[in-house]
Amino acid sequence: MLNRFPKIGISLVVAAMLATMIFGAAAAQDPLKICFGFQDLETEFWVAGHKAITETLRAAGHEVLEYNANENPDRQLEQVRECIAQGVDGIIIIPQDGDSAVTIIGEAQDADIPIAVFNRPPNDRSKGITVVADNVSATEQAVEFIAQKALAKWEATGVQIKPLIVVGALQDTNAIGRREGFFNVINRYNEKYPGMFADPIEVASEWDAATALANLEAAITANPDVDFLYTSSDFLFPTIRSVLEPRGKWVPMGQPGHVLMAGLDGDATACMLIEQGYVDATGVQNLFYEAELTMNRLLQAVANGETQPNEVLLDPGFALTAGNFRWQDVDMWGCKLYYEGFLDQ
Amino acid sequence: MSTLDDRLNPAAVRIMPVAKAEAASRRAERPLLAFLRRVLLSDYFILYLTIFFFVVASIFFPTLSAPGNIANQLSNMWPLLAVAVGQTFVLILGGIDLSVGSIMAVTSVVGALFITQTLDAPTFDKSPLWGTLISDQGGILAGSPNATLIGVIVMLLLGTLIGLWNGFAITRFRMAPFMVTLVSMIFFSALALWLTASRNISGLPEDFLVLGKGDIISVYLGPKLTPDIARRDILPMVTYPFVIAVGLAVVAQFILSRTVFGRQMFSIGTNRRASEVSGVPSRRVMTLVYGFSGFCAAVSAVLYSARLEIGRPSLGDGLLMDIIGAAVIGGTSLFGGKGSIRGTFFGVAFFVLLLNILNAMRLSPFVIDAIKGLVILVAALLDITRTRLINREQRS
Amino acid sequence: MTPILETQNLSKAFFGIAAVQDVSIQVGQGQILGLIGQNGAGKSTLMNLVGGVVQPDSGTMLYQGKPYAPRSPADATHARIAFIHQELNLFTNLTIAENIFIEGFPTRGRGPFRLIDRAAVRSQSRAVLEEVGLDLSPDMVVDRLSPGERQLVEIAKALYLDASLIILDEPTTSLTTRETDKLFGIMRRLRQQGKALVYISHILTDVLAIADQIAIMRDGLLVTQEPAENFDVNRMIALMVGRSIEQLYPPRTSKPSREKLLELSGISARGIVQDIHLTIHQGEVVGLFGLMGSGRTELARMMFGLDTFEQGQIAVNGSSLTRTSARQSIRNNVAFVTENRREEGLLMNINIADNIALVSLPSFAAALTQIIKQRDMVDAVQQVAGALQLKSGNIVVQPAKSLSGGNQQKVVVAKWLLSQPTVFIMDEPTRGIDVGAKYEIYSIIDQLAAGGSGVLFISSELEELMGMCDRILVMSRGEIFGAFTREEFDQEAILRAAFRETSNGSNGSNGA
Repeated sequence: MLNRFPKIGISLVVAAMLATMIFGAAAAQDPLKICFGFQDLETEFWVAGHKAITETLRAAGHEVLEYNANENPDRQLEQVRECIAQGVDGIIIIPQDGDSAVTIIGEAQDADIPIAVFNRPPNDRSKGITVVADNVSATEQAVEFIAQKALAKWEATGVQIKPLIVVGALQDTNAIGRREGFFNVINRYNEKYPGMFADPIEVASEWDAATALANLEAAITANPDVDFLYTSSDFLFPTIRSVLEPRGKWVPMGQPGHVLMAGLDGDATACMLIEQGYVDATGVQNLFYEAELTMNRLLQAVANGETQPNEVLLDPGFALTAGNFRWQDVDMWGCKLYYEGFLDQ
Repeated sequence: MSTLDDRLNPAAVRIMPVAKAEAASRRAERPLLAFLRRVLLSDYFILYLTIFFFVVASIFFPTLSAPGNIANQLSNMWPLLAVAVGQTFVLILGGIDLSVGSIMAVTSVVGALFITQTLDAPTFDKSPLWGTLISDQGGILAGSPNATLIGVIVMLLLGTLIGLWNGFAITRFRMAPFMVTLVSMIFFSALALWLTASRNISGLPEDFLVLGKGDIISVYLGPKLTPDIARRDILPMVTYPFVIAVGLAVVAQFILSRTVFGRQMFSIGTNRRASEVSGVPSRRVMTLVYGFSGFCAAVSAVLYSARLEIGRPSLGDGLLMDIIGAAVIGGTSLFGGKGSIRGTFFGVAFFVLLLNILNAMRLSPFVIDAIKGLVILVAALLDITRTRLINREQRS
Repeated sequence: MTPILETQNLSKAFFGIAAVQDVSIQVGQGQILGLIGQNGAGKSTLMNLVGGVVQPDSGTMLYQGKPYAPRSPADATHARIAFIHQELNLFTNLTIAENIFIEGFPTRGRGPFRLIDRAAVRSQSRAVLEEVGLDLSPDMVVDRLSPGERQLVEIAKALYLDASLIILDEPTTSLTTRETDKLFGIMRRLRQQGKALVYISHILTDVLAIADQIAIMRDGLLVTQEPAENFDVNRMIALMVGRSIEQLYPPRTSKPSREKLLELSGISARGIVQDIHLTIHQGEVVGLFGLMGSGRTELARMMFGLDTFEQGQIAVNGSSLTRTSARQSIRNNVAFVTENRREEGLLMNINIADNIALVSLPSFAAALTQIIKQRDMVDAVQQVAGALQLKSGNIVVQPAKSLSGGNQQKVVVAKWLLSQPTVFIMDEPTRGIDVGAKYEIYSIIDQLAAGGSGVLFISSELEELMGMCDRILVMSRGEIFGAFTREEFDQEAILRAAFRETSNGSNGSNGA
């Protein structure tokens, strides 16, 4: 017991040496020190984003200091300060929320270090480099695809289409934008083809699978004839399946009883379900495009000696559908994970 | 370790010089062991360990000893120290306060709701306070010149009241502290979420933010004074959080070691029944101590909210392990009757440094948490060993 | 005869106070050594040195002719020395067999998949249990055994480990007479088998009856070790105390006055006490005698305010109360020495000075700031500790738990003395302390009375009440069932009252 602590000290030191060897080896011709702080890697979406950024930077020979804040914005602030103290050339963060992002951007810009915010925009977009995914546009593209099919069905049978939307937590700007995109498409079609869609059923999920399950069960039981479904996030597809399957409504396209389904995010499950034909379309944030956009803008700022670059970059997104699946899947982060065997783990 | 010092810390059990001299002579043939023994039994053990770690780790991670990093780590200490001081008091009583994190959350958002200057209608009109305390003009104190002062007083008062409620429930209803503070933890963190509809509150006035990061004395360690010194090279040394947290700690140490109240805390923590027989007003002391813990949590909430520039309903989440860990590493016993603010100060320093080193090693947060847990375990074991060694000297 | 164990000039000090000093004893094969001495004389420390619990500062030991220096209790076990402590070290949630084999179970198979051989466990433990005459199933959980049976299980464990030296520290305190006889029978048999035994006890007649050799310790020194035939009880006491005891009790130096200090009238609490009337006068020592469960301790707790009563009044310090609390009582100058020092008397881990100062702490504080004037406090504590002849090291450092039982009791008394009370309630103040310390406590009681205080002396030892009190009240089933003045003291009559045998006419109605 007397010397337990020194022993730990030694093993810490050994581990530290290993760490330096592993992470320090990539130094190349024009190496920059880039700090990458992310809030967590809980969903596959974050995993893919994190991977895209770190791999590209390292491939270019830059040193990446990674910091995981474990969903604690205060810790993230401490970590960014630590980065600044280490004299990094630029900072990329995936913030926990839009408010703390503003503080952290201020902290970095005070220290004259360029900072870019990836994937979750700060509330005040006038500071720092921010990339914003256009939720409305991506949703519209995906819902448009199933609305086309619904139109054909309606014209053939004359039976009114019963649409349903699983909405997210409506304090979240993402959730608001996605809901807005969905209603844009429904209203547009109803104007053009009056009576095509019934009033959409809204199911609250609060971004929580258990809540979504309970509300969806109730909604489907009350409205067993729903045949058009949009979920504000792909991560809810397994939940949707567990509600539809026992009711005989989980049917691949082309077979009678198929529910037209679209989602948003484009995760690995969605990719698989589109491949198998259960899901028709999903709106995808062009993650790889966003990563590249963020990174390039930041590196450009460093190269130009800009210390407080401020710019909003926009990602319109795209829809991956049963129609374009054969060639566009390579652009979708979820498919990339899917093909790498992510779902088998 | 003068005699004066002995008096400062009545409950710390130490070997008196005679016995120490004997111990030394007895082990004269093994000077290294005697030295280790002295270090281990010292009140400053954790300080020595912290310095040792710092020196060794600095060899491998030179950035650790960079002045900028040191200034950073010091600034990370202060909010944690403030809340750990209150927890130390509770632990000395033989209690535990699990609710400090949620007290921080609820005081953070209530204070922020009072003083915020901007509020976004579509997100906050779901808050139950919309239209009364808050509106699209911000909080009720928005624009008032005394907003910060009143806001901070409200926060401290609220924290103290919640703490007093904990103490009241524990002493009057004779409920276990674990139970009462667990319920408070759940209740008040839910309340914080409900009041704010789960949203952060930004737009806090500038003079409030100063409490979280404002510096009083800063130093520049660069080669020469030029007009264009980069901001990052100016190191805040004496900051408002430093003054607030250290001031709180000094007052707490004074209460603990020099006043009747402090002695009574140790006596209740050692043996509540015997203390009550001897006329110690245990209910009053316990209630006040939980109130103090709430107060300290609120101070910490001021510091954290101000430096993050938001009132945050999830403030203090996951901080409990750090708080209790720092106190335990500092030699405060979970069984009560033993502990000091000085020890907690060292414990906080140790914890912050540990996190700094683990971060420098680029470990995943899960590994970091696991190591933190292990360190607390080792600290608890170490404390048991120390107690055993001391007891061995004393057994008759 | 070659001794199995021989200590040579062993010394050990704690806090600069010698606990064992220059002690040389021998225990031979097939011999029982009786080790006696007052609490704090160093018996337990000596045996802890032998058992490896503490290490000596100087001196050596020979065990079976070879040098022996245990660093831990495990070393002692390894050397086949069994140590049966005052507080038993059995795991009460385990079975008898599991306790016996706790150091190592017989196993079947090999490697990491070894299994405990249940059959062997059962048969082997049956054998050792038979040897100690314990007719119980090895699968019985220890929790359900009587203290005597547990003692025998401890011995069975020692037998299983084939100990050649068995140390028994106060084994009979919790045993019935029958169990004690049984234990002695086993000890004699072990002696015949050639084992050596060390027997520590306060019951001198027992020691005389069973020991071959008797060693007497006082103040850490060995007074003498001689064959048992050389002793009688009086000589043993004289050597233990260091003076011959003509009187077990000090003479009372004062007479009670008529001035009432505390008066209980009609105190009742359903099912506990009933209509108690009791008065304590200035300078008076009132004895309260009763069997276990008679309600005497409960009454004392109600008087002091630790428990509540339903009816009646307490008149004290000029006020008449229908309810009180510990803090109220302290304000009314009432002190309460509780019957269990460990649970309610002392802060074991805290230093002596703070223990003594606890009750009167506020009086050492500055008015507004509540800052303690440490120097004043330590001076006052030192004064009262000196007056009670407390034997300790540095009182601001040494924790209460390191003191002997008698000195711990003095700390409790000192704590109350410092607050200068006029009424002392003392519940079993001499329990578990040795002859010399008892005498000192009696002297303190006499001095308190002489100083004008009133004392309520609660005890289940009738002799000490008869030795010290001006008056004895007898409680039985929650009632005061007899009152005796000093002239009427008669052991038989008092006991009869305690058993509610009224035939011989109780000496009085309720109270006084």
